[in-house]
Amino acid sequence: MPIVTRPHFLPGLPQWSRKTLFALALFGICFAFAFPVLWLILTSLRPESGVYYVHRGTEFTLGSFAEVLSDDRIVSAFLNSALISTLATVFSLLVTVSSGYMLSRFTGPASRIWFGTIYVFRCVPYISWVLPLYFVTQSWGIYDTYTGLLLPHVAVHICFFSWLMKGFFDGIDPSMEYAAMIDGCTRWGAFIRVAVPSALPAISALAVLCWLFTWNEFLFALILTGNRVPMITVVMAQFVTEMGLRWNLMAATAVMALVPAFLIALFGQKYVIRGLRI
Amino acid sequence: MFGEQQRFMLFLIAPAALLMLLFQVLPIVIGANASFRNWALYNPKKTWVGLDHYYAVLSDPAFLYTVLPNTFLFMVLSVAGALVAGLSLALLLNRPFRGQKLVQTILLVPLMVAPVVAAIMIRWIFNDQFGIVNAVLEAIGLEGQPWLVQRWSAFGIILLTDIWLWTPWFTLLLLAGLQSLPKEPFEAAAIDGTTTWRVFRFLTLPMLRPVIVVCVVIRAIDAFRTFDIVWTLTGGGPGRSTELFSLYAYVHAFLNLDLGRGSAAAIIGGLIILVIGVALYRLVDRIAKA
Repeated sequence: MPIVTRPHFLPGLPQWSRKTLFALALFGICFAFAFPVLWLILTSLRPESGVYYVHRGTEFTLGSFAEVLSDDRIVSAFLNSALISTLATVFSLLVTVSSGYMLSRFTGPASRIWFGTIYVFRCVPYISWVLPLYFVTQSWGIYDTYTGLLLPHVAVHICFFSWLMKGFFDGIDPSMEYAAMIDGCTRWGAFIRVAVPSALPAISALAVLCWLFTWNEFLFALILTGNRVPMITVVMAQFVTEMGLRWNLMAATAVMALVPAFLIALFGQKYVIRGLRI
Repeated sequence: MFGEQQRFMLFLIAPAALLMLLFQVLPIVIGANASFRNWALYNPKKTWVGLDHYYAVLSDPAFLYTVLPNTFLFMVLSVAGALVAGLSLALLLNRPFRGQKLVQTILLVPLMVAPVVAAIMIRWIFNDQFGIVNAVLEAIGLEGQPWLVQRWSAFGIILLTDIWLWTPWFTLLLLAGLQSLPKEPFEAAAIDGTTTWRVFRFLTLPMLRPVIVVCVVIRAIDAFRTFDIVWTLTGGGPGRSTELFSLYAYVHAFLNLDLGRGSAAAIIGGLIILVIGVALYRLVDRIAKA
C-alpha cells in the first residue's frame, strides 16, 4: 500500500471529467503515433482503381500483395535482408559482447584508449567511410556480395553496442567471476560461463536492436550493393521514383517490410525495456 | 611479451579492432587521400590537387548557405522535438492507468518502422493530389498545399517524420531512467503537498539529467548524419533547398561522379561533428560527476 497518493492532473476538475479528458488525450496520442502505419495498411488493401481515394470506397483486396510477391526481385530482396540482418546480429554480438566486457572489467590506459577510439568513431558520419568503402569493396572483389555488405554492417555496430554492453556489464557485480576464478576457472571460463549468462537479458535486447537496425538500414545498402544483392529498403526507395504512381504496390511492399520487424519487436519488447536501463 | 591479463584484454577486443581497422579506419584514410586528388571517373591518373576540393566545398554557396544551416537547424529541432515529446510520454507511461501496456506498445510502433518506409508513408499522406492531408483540408474548405515542393513545408515534414521516428527511442530510455529513480523523495514531496509542476521541475528533472544528456548526445550525433528520410521524402529538393550534409556528399560523389569533392565534403562534416561530439562528451562527463 502506498502511504500517499500521487497528485492528479488538473486537480480542480471533478473526477469523471478528468478521466474523460485523460482518455481522450491518450487516444489522440496513440492515434498520432499509429496513424501513418494504419493508413499504409489501408492503402495496401485497396484495389488499383481505388488507391487514389483511400478514404472513399469500400472494396478491399489482397491483390497488391500477390502482385508484389510474384516479383522475383522483391522476393529476393526480402530474403537477402532477412539473411543479412540475422548474420549481422550474430556476428555483431560475438564481437561487441567481448569488447564491452573488456571496457567494463578493466581500467588503465588500454581500456581508456579503446574507449576513446570507440567514441570518436561513433561520431564519424556514416557517409565519410561508406563513400570510400565503395571503392575498397570493389578493389577487394566483394562489392555487391553478401560479404561486402555483411562485414560493414557488423563494423558499424561495434562502437554503439560496445558502449551499451559496457553499461550492462557495469551493472553486473564482478564478484561471481572472481569466485569462479578462485575455484580454478580461467579468465575465459569466467567470462563465458559466468559473465555472459548473467548478461543474457541485455544481450537479447541488443540482438533485437541489431536485427531491427540492419533490417531498416538504407545508406550502406544503397552504396554497397548493385543488382546482385538487392536489399528491401533500397528496392522500396527505387519504387518511389520508378513506380511513383502505383501506390497500392508500394504500400503492400512497405507493409510486408514492416511485418518481420513487428514480430521481432513484439517478441523482444520486454527484453529491450528490461535491458535498456542505462 | 605481454602478461596473461594483457593477452586476455587484447583477445577480447581483437576481432572488433580488426573489423574497425578494415572497414572504418582504412576507408577513412582512402577517403582522405581521395579528397586531395582529382578522383573523378574520367581522370584515371588521379592527380594531386591539394586543398582545392576543400576550398571548392567551403566556398560553395549551396554548402555554406543551405546545407550547413539546414543540417544544424535539423539537428537542433529534431533532438529538441523528440526530447520534449519523448519525456512527456515517458512521464505519462510512468503513472499506472488502465491499458498502460497497450498504450506503451502503440507508442513504440515507430521504433520498428524503417526510416525509408516512414518516408514513403509520409510522402503518400502528404501527396499533393491524392494525399489524405489535402483531402481533409479540402473537405473542411481550406486549400490543399503542394507540401513537398515548397522549401519550408518540405523541411517541416522531414523534421516531423524524424521526430515521429525517434520519439519512442527517447521514451524508452527515459522511462527506464524514471523507473530506476528512488521513491523516497517523491513520497516526501507528496506528503508536503508539492504541486506536480514543482515535483517535475525540482525532483524529476535534476535526477533524470544524466540519462537525458546521454540520450541527447547519442541522438544529436545521429541527427547530424541523417540521410535516408531526406533522400526518400524530397531527394534534397525542391531544388537543393532541403539538402543535408550527408546528401551533399552523396550527390557529389555518386551523381556528379566526383569522389574527391564528395570525400572532402564528408571529411569537413566529419570534423565538424567530431568537435561537437567531443564537446558534448566533456559536458556529459561534467554533469555525470557533478
